[in-house]
Amino acid sequence: MPSTYAAEPEPDTWVVVAAFNEAPEVGRSVAGLRALFSHVVVIDDASGDETGAEALAAGAVVIRHPVNLGQGAALQTGIDYALCRGAACVATFDADGQHHPGDLRRMLAVLREKRLDIVLGSRFLGRAEGIPPSRRLLLKTATFVTNLAAGVSLTDAHNGMRVMTAATARRLRISQDRMAHASELIAQIRRLRLAMEEVPVTISYTEYSTGKGQKMSNSLRIMLDLLTGWLLR
Amino acid sequence: MMIQVFLSVMLAGIALLVGFQGTTSRLLKAVILGVIAFGAFLLWTPETTDRFAEAFGVGRGADLLLYVWVVITLALIVFLYLKLTTLSRRITQLTRAIALAHPRGEQRPPEGSDR
Repeated sequence: MPSTYAAEPEPDTWVVVAAFNEAPEVGRSVAGLRALFSHVVVIDDASGDETGAEALAAGAVVIRHPVNLGQGAALQTGIDYALCRGAACVATFDADGQHHPGDLRRMLAVLREKRLDIVLGSRFLGRAEGIPPSRRLLLKTATFVTNLAAGVSLTDAHNGMRVMTAATARRLRISQDRMAHASELIAQIRRLRLAMEEVPVTISYTEYSTGKGQKMSNSLRIMLDLLTGWLLR
Repeated sequence: MMIQVFLSVMLAGIALLVGFQGTTSRLLKAVILGVIAFGAFLLWTPETTDRFAEAFGVGRGADLLLYVWVVITLALIVFLYLKLTTLSRRITQLTRAIALAHPRGEQRPPEGSDR
């Protein structure tokens, strides 16, 4: 790979990747990230495959949950780790190869340039390559519901790409262990009145990532989780 | 008559179990035994529940018991669900603490960094 013109890797940003049984893709995702970011931490959420070893070999710090908790919990563990390592900015990224590390760099640039608290990726401002129609409908519906509930107007409420300052990362707290964390974060962003912007990103759907993605049947579970979280707040 | 005898034996069994339960506090034991005794009383005097039921505008005493039972069960389910969620939050905290204590791959100098 010609690296002569490649930008220097970001030295003070930590990229958090939550991974559960992602051995086939996590290595490639980490390698891509490591070309642009010095620090990548993969939270192996008690995978049954070689996810941890693959991530380690590709150059990530690997933290393994002894029992499976879910994506929300894994992200919070990674954010805690990044903060305790002195990160200036924290980013989140998916392990399944759908995301492009270059997008994360652009999001980071926007965060710094406009002095925002948090930047969210949007596949509907950008591109959703090869997105199955049913997935598009599900995501659009979920975004509509989240917007309605949180009182915001986002174009893509459930995007795994986020970049935030360390101060923001300290103020946000994911208590939703499973998939309801995306809506939870948006509600918190709104409540804390954080300076936020959506940046267009590209999500490339593959057979692999579509197979691992969220199903329609999970929406009910997510709503129940949100309701319980609200009751216990 | 048969059902009254059968249910009384069941209640007596539960009362014995509660009575010999070493870990339950005396106060709780007294409350549970009181509830069981009240149940036995209602069992042998069905006209009492019928009178209660009439006061609430329900036809039969047995129907009133069923409605009360449904409400109590639903409340218990919600209570247990919230309790489970609190418990799983604690498990999350514990798991996170264990995980953060054992990071792998930290020693490596970061790529493209001269620090």
